[in-house]
Amino acid sequence: MIACGIDVGSLTAEAVILRDEELLAYSLIPTGPRSAQTAVEALKESLQKTNLRPEEIDYTVATGYGRVVVPFANKNLSEISCHARGAHYFFPLARTILDMGGQDCKVIRCDGRGKVTNFLMNDKCAAGTGRSLEVMASLLQIRLEDIGPLSLESLGEPLKISNTCVIFAKTEVLVLVRQGVPLSQILAGLCDGVAEQVKGLIRRVGLEEEFVISGGISKNIGVVKRLEKKLGVKAHICFEPQIVGALGAALFAADFVKKQD
Amino acid sequence: MPNNIVTAGLDIGHQNVKGVLLGEQGIMSRITLRLSGEVDTSAKVAYEKLLTQAQLKPSQVDHLFATGLEREKVSLADGNPTEMLCHLKGAHWLFPGTRTVLDLGAEGIRILRGDSEGNLTNFLMNDKCAAGTGIFLETVALMMRISLTEMGPLALRSSGKLVLTSTCAVFAESEIVAEIHRGTPLEDILGAVHESIASKIAQLGKRIGLEPEVVFTGGVARNVGIQQALKKHLALDVKIPEDPDIVGALGAAILARNSAGAKR
Repeated sequence: MIACGIDVGSLTAEAVILRDEELLAYSLIPTGPRSAQTAVEALKESLQKTNLRPEEIDYTVATGYGRVVVPFANKNLSEISCHARGAHYFFPLARTILDMGGQDCKVIRCDGRGKVTNFLMNDKCAAGTGRSLEVMASLLQIRLEDIGPLSLESLGEPLKISNTCVIFAKTEVLVLVRQGVPLSQILAGLCDGVAEQVKGLIRRVGLEEEFVISGGISKNIGVVKRLEKKLGVKAHICFEPQIVGALGAALFAADFVKKQD
Repeated sequence: MPNNIVTAGLDIGHQNVKGVLLGEQGIMSRITLRLSGEVDTSAKVAYEKLLTQAQLKPSQVDHLFATGLEREKVSLADGNPTEMLCHLKGAHWLFPGTRTVLDLGAEGIRILRGDSEGNLTNFLMNDKCAAGTGIFLETVALMMRISLTEMGPLALRSSGKLVLTSTCAVFAESEIVAEIHRGTPLEDILGAVHESIASKIAQLGKRIGLEPEVVFTGGVARNVGIQQALKKHLALDVKIPEDPDIVGALGAAILARNSAGAKR
């Protein structure tokens, strides 16, 4: 049985192919201007890694912002359920999942079966989302993936960025640059700020171990390390944290096939 | 004339230093100057320009009060009243019926409530989020390569069909880029931007309650697009000063005047 999950996010899209609940292949591509086209491309790319043809897929579940326009999906489900399910697949003891994406941030609580019991999300404010770090990377002319490692070069208490709003923080960062504050210190301040924002969201839902982080920001070691320190817990991160949503979708797709049989 | 008191008020904003010289006959000179470098230096430059415009010597000014951000850094100042008080005083002086002031600045919104004497009774502010502030307008102007002054008039020609769904100004930027690519008319995008800002301001207003007369102050109050959109939201009689950005400085000069008058 072949099941497929597609997660069309605001910045990236992922496809996961499962054979009998075994991860067969996945793809990760940037979301283009047309979500439907992006979904087709993500599927194509993942299938290329297998010897499967599209017709061999038994069921497809789409999730993410662009889930309603995925042309070949049999069903679409919320990314909350999919992230919980996907995180549970990698870490069966997961009870709290933080999904830090490009344009939003979600804290999801789930039970022992990976079923969502509560969640909270921030999709109103760019502070505390991947977007804020993207904005800063382009402002400071560094690569997004360099932010984390560089921020860890700064020792001691991180510098405090007093503005929450990304737009105001940009001005604050420019002033710091002009004052000659080392880049690593500024980045430490920014990562700490994101971690602080996210911590607030987690506190409101309540943290139960084990704790899993998914989504693009979990690749930023500067944010993850600081968040772990603030929360006093260790975070589990799978080998490719950006496919957790698509994987969850694919697991649901496998469920639907089983039901049909 | 021994009674001819002259005072000065300076208001240090996020972007501009505003100044007013106030005499027996009213405002003698006014200035809005881009903030550059140290607050104290910018304040001094603004003050000198005020004096030159009015052809006065520093010795002819009785008191100078500074308000705004880092107001205590203005070494010339004899007093540092808060900008809340200054905006209310200034608005009340211009429009004695003032009960509510909406101060719409570059990096923040303040809503001030006052009594019939122009005393501050309550206030609410947002300086945490750029949505609803002048900096959002500036960002959009930059994206569209138009000047700040063109924005308001263009927004008035909007069909009103487009609505921006993002709260955050950062997210709204991406939404605007998408609309530009979609070929949405500039006027409609600007209309939606102005509407979004006005609705943020109105939301804040609802939380504290607005009593007429309502006066708009601050640089954003100059923008006709915001004026129109906000009037529609508030459905109240609104007064807009000729020079809304100097109201805080005017209030500082009035407070300096009260203090100088009391001393004599």
